Amino acid sequence: MAAKPEKGIWLRKLVLAIWGILCFLPILFFATIALRPRNEIIAPQPIYFPTLTIETWAKILEEWPLLTYFKNSVMAIGGSVFICLLLGIPAAYALARYKFRGREDIGFYILSTKMMAPAAVAIPIFVLFGQFRILDTVWALMLVYAAMNLSIVVWIIRSYMLDIPPEIEDAARTDGASDLRILWSIIIPMCLPGIVTAAVIAAIFAMNEYLFTLIIASRNAYPLSVALANFSGGSDGIIYNAIALVSFMAFFPILLLVILIQNHLSRGLTMGAVKG
Amino acid sequence: MADVALPLHPAKRTLVRRSPFMRKAFPYLLLGPAVVYLLGITLYPGIYAVYRSLMTGKFKLEYAGLQNYRELLVDNAFWTSLSNTLILGVITLALEFVIALSLAALVYRDRWVKAWRILFLLPMLFMPSAVSFLWKLLFNDGRVISDLLTRVGFGAGNIDFMGSTALARLVLVVTDVWQWTPFLFIIFVAALQGMDKEVEEAARLDGASWRKIFFNISLPMMRPVIAIALVLRGIDILTMFASVHIITQGTPGGNTETLSYFIYRTAFKSFEQGYASAASVLLLIATIILAQTLVRRFFKSGVE
Repeated sequence: MAAKPEKGIWLRKLVLAIWGILCFLPILFFATIALRPRNEIIAPQPIYFPTLTIETWAKILEEWPLLTYFKNSVMAIGGSVFICLLLGIPAAYALARYKFRGREDIGFYILSTKMMAPAAVAIPIFVLFGQFRILDTVWALMLVYAAMNLSIVVWIIRSYMLDIPPEIEDAARTDGASDLRILWSIIIPMCLPGIVTAAVIAAIFAMNEYLFTLIIASRNAYPLSVALANFSGGSDGIIYNAIALVSFMAFFPILLLVILIQNHLSRGLTMGAVKG
Repeated sequence: MADVALPLHPAKRTLVRRSPFMRKAFPYLLLGPAVVYLLGITLYPGIYAVYRSLMTGKFKLEYAGLQNYRELLVDNAFWTSLSNTLILGVITLALEFVIALSLAALVYRDRWVKAWRILFLLPMLFMPSAVSFLWKLLFNDGRVISDLLTRVGFGAGNIDFMGSTALARLVLVVTDVWQWTPFLFIIFVAALQGMDKEVEEAARLDGASWRKIFFNISLPMMRPVIAIALVLRGIDILTMFASVHIITQGTPGGNTETLSYFIYRTAFKSFEQGYASAASVLLLIATIILAQTLVRRFFKSGVE
């Protein structure tokens, strides 16, 4: 491939570098926002080289329970991922391995719930959770996130299960293993990358969720995504350094998770349709 | 008896052991919990939305027939939000598609493809609400974009980005494009990398340029992937909410409201749940039709 020097290679690199800068500079700017004193965020002229300090964090932490927000996020997301895997793995196994009437329809029904617009079901969900008196709890967020991500989890895991050659299960069957036993001790370990991918993608989408979270959480259950929309302090206007700080609190864990599954990312994002 | 047939039909053996009922029921039992759970958040809300859309009143509900729908269909705000959703959607999706495909085409043969991928991916790893605040600050509150434009000589002083419909829409488009172009990019790069290298090599040996190879060979082969990626991204864009809620709140004059925001505002700010439910039902019907036509076309199901 490297036989002939490629024509226009510098132009190509230049275009990539420009997009890279466009991606990175706003993030860098946002990071400095988290580190600025309040009076340098909204000034008559934008300040590009501010004083960097973490002293403001003490005040932010005093005003808002950021760690509680973080804990709420972790619990709601973690719980929802657990529900998704608990319900999703058996469902994926049925879709991947059994022939039965209605398989196509059920599979597509599950997939089509991904297309559901949150706004279309927001009111009934709000009313329903109100009746169960679980509005403004982490449990409600957990249930909604799980429902939202179940389709993705099922389809991702199904796709990885299809890659496992059936002969392996057949061998176990001849040794007398039951179907559930096969699922537990052969299929699940073998499609672990798929399960991890599904879990990470579900976690990202749960972290991002905004509309349901906005109507469900109102103080006690604030996770990070909606907590930051409430950082305004009367005459101070919007408290951007607190917002930036919370944004990065969510960003770094997600970054680590994504690096963990980076080679499965495209497959996860397309619910198994695109491999690689 | 079953043992004799074992090597030929190994899967049948366990099934023989089970009662006929269990054999039939087993896959349904595996699927049951997931399906019931999903019905709980699709079927029940759907039915409730239909019921609620036939009622008026904020606390004491009264049956009103199709009155909510009649009002909705002559409500300018509803039509504005609908057309705005489509306008924003088409522009945003087109931009994201063109940028992502170009970047993917430029990057997939690069030696540093992994590094580029991580770099380009970063915006996607922030929460949409965080990204919305970031661009609200850059465009409006912090006046950074105005300042930068002035410095490079395009300045018109402090531009009020919320002052005109076009500029407010631009802000929403930039916010979405910046954050979500990586989504398509990641998928396209993977598709290009996963392609059969031999075909490319053969074309290369025949003297075809990279440009020709891309447009005549790679791109046609990517069609199904592009379709799936655009469907997934398109659905997300059509339900755009966080950026509208945080950045514009519909300003100026409701001209940047999306349908999702219209429903939210009507139901949770004006507390007209019956009215908002009517809009929800219409949105629900639209998504069901979209899902049924698009999903079945582009995703394969069952064992390949």
